[in-house]
Amino acid sequence: MNRNRHTARLGALLLGALVATTGWAQQPATAAPAAAAVNPVAPEAIQALKDMGTYLQTLQRFSVTTRVTGERVLADGQKLQHSAKATMDVARPNRLRARITTARAERELTFNGKVATLYTPAQKYYSSVEVDDTVTGLVRRLHQRYGIEVPLADLFLWGTAAAPLEGFESAMNAGQDFVDDDLCDHYAFRQGSLDWQVWIKAGSQPLPRRLVITNRADEARPQSVSLIQWNLKPTFKDAIFTLVPSPGAQRVELVPLKTR
Amino acid sequence: MTIMIRLLAVALTGAFLATVAQPAAEAAGDRRGGGGGAGAGARAGGGGGAKAKPQVSNTNRDARSGNVRSTSVSNVNNNVNVNKNVNVNVDADRRGCCGWDNDYHPVATAAAVTATVAVTSAVIGSIVNAPPPGCVPVNYGGIIYQQCGGTWYAPQGPQFVVVSPPY
Repeated sequence: MNRNRHTARLGALLLGALVATTGWAQQPATAAPAAAAVNPVAPEAIQALKDMGTYLQTLQRFSVTTRVTGERVLADGQKLQHSAKATMDVARPNRLRARITTARAERELTFNGKVATLYTPAQKYYSSVEVDDTVTGLVRRLHQRYGIEVPLADLFLWGTAAAPLEGFESAMNAGQDFVDDDLCDHYAFRQGSLDWQVWIKAGSQPLPRRLVITNRADEARPQSVSLIQWNLKPTFKDAIFTLVPSPGAQRVELVPLKTR
Repeated sequence: MTIMIRLLAVALTGAFLATVAQPAAEAAGDRRGGGGGAGAGARAGGGGGAKAKPQVSNTNRDARSGNVRSTSVSNVNNNVNVNKNVNVNVDADRRGCCGWDNDYHPVATAAAVTATVAVTSAVIGSIVNAPPPGCVPVNYGGIIYQQCGGTWYAPQGPQFVVVSPPY
């Protein structure tokens, strides 16, 4: 009996909640046109991206380390996480060394402005191609012609024509946050099937410290999270940009992407 | 239904090979020259201690974990640009396979299509400690395959897995 009354009261409560929700749901219907008038692409967020790109292009010599966690989606939608680390030494305009470490592979890319060499130390395999271009050009060429991604490729594309500042469906300031001890401005963007967020260090050195990318092309929405650490006063020598294959290393053909 | 059966076949093959395969040979250890993080590497110029990292083994890995339908993306601009051409270039998804951080060849996905056909060559998805002699290494999309006639092997930790031809 007591329980019945309780249930009845609960029912009334639920009904009330239902009415309330319906009421709420109706309101935005009339308010929607006003909201749509607001520009979904906040100019401030685009400006922040532009400032970051301009600043990145001014950096002449730097080392950067990134740790990324990514996700693979299995056939049934279950996700598996994996992680990797990369360290890059850069001397603009045209020198780069990237060392990539995952549980499954270790790779090295060296570029001295003329020759780009990919090296896998465990098997002592190397592939060389002649590339007469800047670091940005190299990143583009490796991606387009050979299907090879340079870690944090965006670092070399932001601030250039390869990273256009239009074509956003949405851009917003998401407030401030810390990445390690750096106070950062947090921005979120939507472009095609990608949602992405960047945390840019506040102040006179607008460096990206964290990058999160969500792939909306798959309903499981696999996501990658990259933490980025900077050393703007590196002490590397230019010799590191030319790979000297160790004795016994075998040259392997690098096959350009085939279009089917 | 048929997919289930094929998958099971792949899983069984994987399990069978797993029991046969020896634990990974003590391949090479950690060859990584030069020290750890960016700061350390740049500053100390390779003064890292020579601590040996244990070798990864995927001997007990479930075959299903290779049945990948898609991955996350680790850069913005290349992918946004690729998406623009998505109608022109149907192959966009396979470009670069998996980004710099993910060197998985989508093995079992390929197996589901090909496993029933491949009778004469090695079964796709099967794992070996070393490819047969006479194979030619080929770098495609940043992954170094071993091409042995019509059979292709992709590296998987210290072992090799038979995959469908990458191109």
